[in-house]
Amino acid sequence: METVLADRLQFAFTIMFHYLFPIGTIGLAPFVAAYTWKAARSGDPEDAAAARFWTTIFAVNFAAGVVTGIPMEFQFGTNWAAFSRSSGSVVGQPLAMEGMFAFFLESIFLGALLYGRRGKPTRFMAWAAVMVCLGAWLSGYFIVVTDAWMQHPVGYVAGPNGTYQLSDIWAVVLSSWARWQFAHVFIGALLTGSLIVAGVGAYYLLAKRETALAKRFVRSGTIAAFVFSILAAFPTGDINADDVTKYQPVKLAAMEGLFQSAHGAPLAIIGMPDSKNRTLLDPVYVPGILSYLAYGNFRANVNGLEAYPREFWPPVELTYYAYHVMVGLGTIFGGITALAVLLLVMRRLYSTPLMLWVLMLLVPFPYIANEAGWVVSEVGRQPWIVYGLMRTAAGSSPTVSGGETLFTIIGFAGMYFLLGVLFLTLVLREIGLGPSHPQEVPV
Amino acid sequence: MPTVGYCVIALMLTAYVLLDGFDLGVASIAPFIARNDNERRIAMESIGPFWNGNEVCLIAAGAALFALFPSAYAASFSGFYLPFMVVLWLLMFRGISLELREHLSSDLWHQFWDAAFWASSTLLIVLFGVALGNLIRGVPLDASGYFKGSFSFLLNPYAIAVALLAVCVLGFHGAAFARLRIDGPPAVRAASALTALWWCVAALYVIVSAATLYLRGFDGHWATYACGAIALAALIAMRLALGRSDVAAFAASSLFLIALMGAAAATMYPYILPGYPPGSGGLSIEAAAPSVAAMTTALTVTIGGGIAVFAYGSLVFRRMAGKLRVEDVTQ
Ligand code: HDD
Ligand code: HEM
Ligand code: HEM
Repeated sequence: METVLADRLQFAFTIMFHYLFPIGTIGLAPFVAAYTWKAARSGDPEDAAAARFWTTIFAVNFAAGVVTGIPMEFQFGTNWAAFSRSSGSVVGQPLAMEGMFAFFLESIFLGALLYGRRGKPTRFMAWAAVMVCLGAWLSGYFIVVTDAWMQHPVGYVAGPNGTYQLSDIWAVVLSSWARWQFAHVFIGALLTGSLIVAGVGAYYLLAKRETALAKRFVRSGTIAAFVFSILAAFPTGDINADDVTKYQPVKLAAMEGLFQSAHGAPLAIIGMPDSKNRTLLDPVYVPGILSYLAYGNFRANVNGLEAYPREFWPPVELTYYAYHVMVGLGTIFGGITALAVLLLVMRRLYSTPLMLWVLMLLVPFPYIANEAGWVVSEVGRQPWIVYGLMRTAAGSSPTVSGGETLFTIIGFAGMYFLLGVLFLTLVLREIGLGPSHPQEVPV
Repeated sequence: MPTVGYCVIALMLTAYVLLDGFDLGVASIAPFIARNDNERRIAMESIGPFWNGNEVCLIAAGAALFALFPSAYAASFSGFYLPFMVVLWLLMFRGISLELREHLSSDLWHQFWDAAFWASSTLLIVLFGVALGNLIRGVPLDASGYFKGSFSFLLNPYAIAVALLAVCVLGFHGAAFARLRIDGPPAVRAASALTALWWCVAALYVIVSAATLYLRGFDGHWATYACGAIALAALIAMRLALGRSDVAAFAASSLFLIALMGAAAATMYPYILPGYPPGSGGLSIEAAAPSVAAMTTALTVTIGGGIAVFAYGSLVFRRMAGKLRVEDVTQ
């Protein structure tokens, strides 16, 4: 197998699997912190049960995140040695910061939180939970900085032997691309966390268990999810799209399935791109909207893919579908949570089984939206590994063959299958036991 | 400045060896000191709150290497591709077995995960030992600064001797830690394991030191010999502490590990990846260093971050100190 293709497959597979867990960690961390804080303050056993329940689920999720994160940290060196050598001076920095500032914080305080779980929540544990949350968020920030530099390189100078050397660390860490990308990633994860909390609560209500706590879960989950699903589109999604328009116009054209440049370009809601014949099949258009979204003007010119040489096109179909899945799901989340909040205000939510069913079954979908979003941003970046500077094909390790990578992909697949099954078993078991299930260990 | 960076990497790896060393060590001797389900559970609980934080040292050291010496990171990780992947799988498998054991209640599952945990931890120690042995011995770098480490090249007698030393010394370190954390029959068995392991460590230390001198000659950096001497003193202290003071035994084995890592780092200096055969140069820290801005940033981050981690880490760990007894963890 072609080496670069194997490396890309392995990276895509392992990162998409890894990302399943940080979403939960980033999104659930504030709930864990809030419940622990509340329990430490009130001393109420029900609050303590909620805190313990979410801490346990968080911990299982965290462990899976760590286990799948270690390969990510090493893969730049193992599979992308040429990229690491040329760009390590820059991308190594946020990764080192993540290790020193975020991972230690997160894991040491999580250890403290789990250790104290046997007893009643204390002030110290409440602080530990806040630190864990801070660690998870920081780690998300630094990794997004890494990715943002690859999307939009800044703060570097060309060095000897085809390397890119860091010149201004603040420009890298605080780049506007990184800030808005993080905001969007962060909202995506918080939306997921809120929908998990709501979904678990809905399940308990439907199963007629844990009713008092379940109502709290559903209430706080749906309200938060409603707010975050708006923030996912405006302002964060919108600004990400603006950045793409400004810096990566080819990606924008692929996302929208726009082959021919147009004044007053329409927005395709539905349609099937065909990159061979360079058309969008069976489209449903809203006229002028794309020009408006991209440039704030219904008549502006938007460049289509044909304005660029074929070799600079990303895989069009994948980028297009992934983008439409993300935005479509985002719209659906907005609609459903708005309805749920309305029912909540009318005091009918807890007694509307249909809505509870929907909330419960909705849990996997924010994961899909998040993964699809990453496919847009990473596949859409092709053929560049560092946008405009280095081709993906030039980035892989010269001493590792495609066959070797294929072998390790299979190894990862086996290991991750095991991990996935066990993760689901544990989380479902914990949910089955429920928050008020008595602690195994005598206090 | 590259020298400071080199010391930072060496320090982070030493911290990893010290910290993950005790939990790998406890795991590798667990079948010998814990004879029933409860005792094994307690052995795992003794490292339960720590292993994750300890592994973060490895991740952080990897990331620091990436930031401080990108081309060394690129060449070594891609050169050791398959062994590295095996290390990754073992690390994962070990994490899975430790976390899952707690959550499954069947005895058969416990036995399975205990065995898995023992095997993956012990193999990891072996692989780390082989890797360190090969780093000291040198790797066949080509003109563009890459190499491909084949199994037949990596599994040489020297690297295997280093791996055996690693198994014994971390077993000792783990047993000493177990005595600090656990009471009851496992602690008694740990004491006899310590005596046996000490003899193995002493013998292998002599063999590995002699082999290293033979391999690299007597023209090494003075720090190599200083560290070697400290290691010898620590070895004697380990022996003297046996049966007298558990704290002293653990401290002595920590010092021994520090001195060994120091000796290894001093032997390789000024190369971060020495070439093979010995004396054929290699990738020097000057050549591997990135721009001044990058070096300054990475040093600030690692040193500043390290101090902060040390401060809050010791505060938190102090709150969790104390011994576990079998009664505490019985379900
Ligand atoms: C629940 C998750 C979720 C939801 C509902 C949305 N997104 Fe999103 N989106 C993500 C989760 C996400 C993400 C996974 O977090 C990505 C991947 C990379 C990134 O920066 O964020 C992303 C990427 C991403 C990108 C690509 C950025 C790049 O190429 O670097 C754009 C343009 C948008 N989003 C725009 C939107 C818009 C206009 C939405 C309106 C509904 C939207 N997203 C909903
Ligand atoms: C923020 C941290 C991330 C970094 C630093 C990063 C970096 C990279 C690198 C180095 C590659 C391989 C080179 C290439 O193909 O361009 C890649 C490809 C890829 N990544 Fe990311 N990535 C990140 C996040 C993610 C996430 C969270 C996902 C999905 C959930 C993802 C999905 C992909 C996919 C699908 C590819 C393959 C694209 C292709 O080759 O066509 N990435 N990324
Ligand atoms: C190529 C990219 C990536 C690398 C190299 C990477 C590396 C790692 C590593 C080594 C860990 C384990 C840390 C520990 O022991 O505590 C980890 C966990 C974590 N990662 Fe990633 N990661 C990547 C992508 C991402 C992305 C895209 C995000 C989120 C935006 C993310 C967020 C997190 C978080 C929050 C954790 C904490 C543990 C958890 O959440 O389960 N990572 N990552």
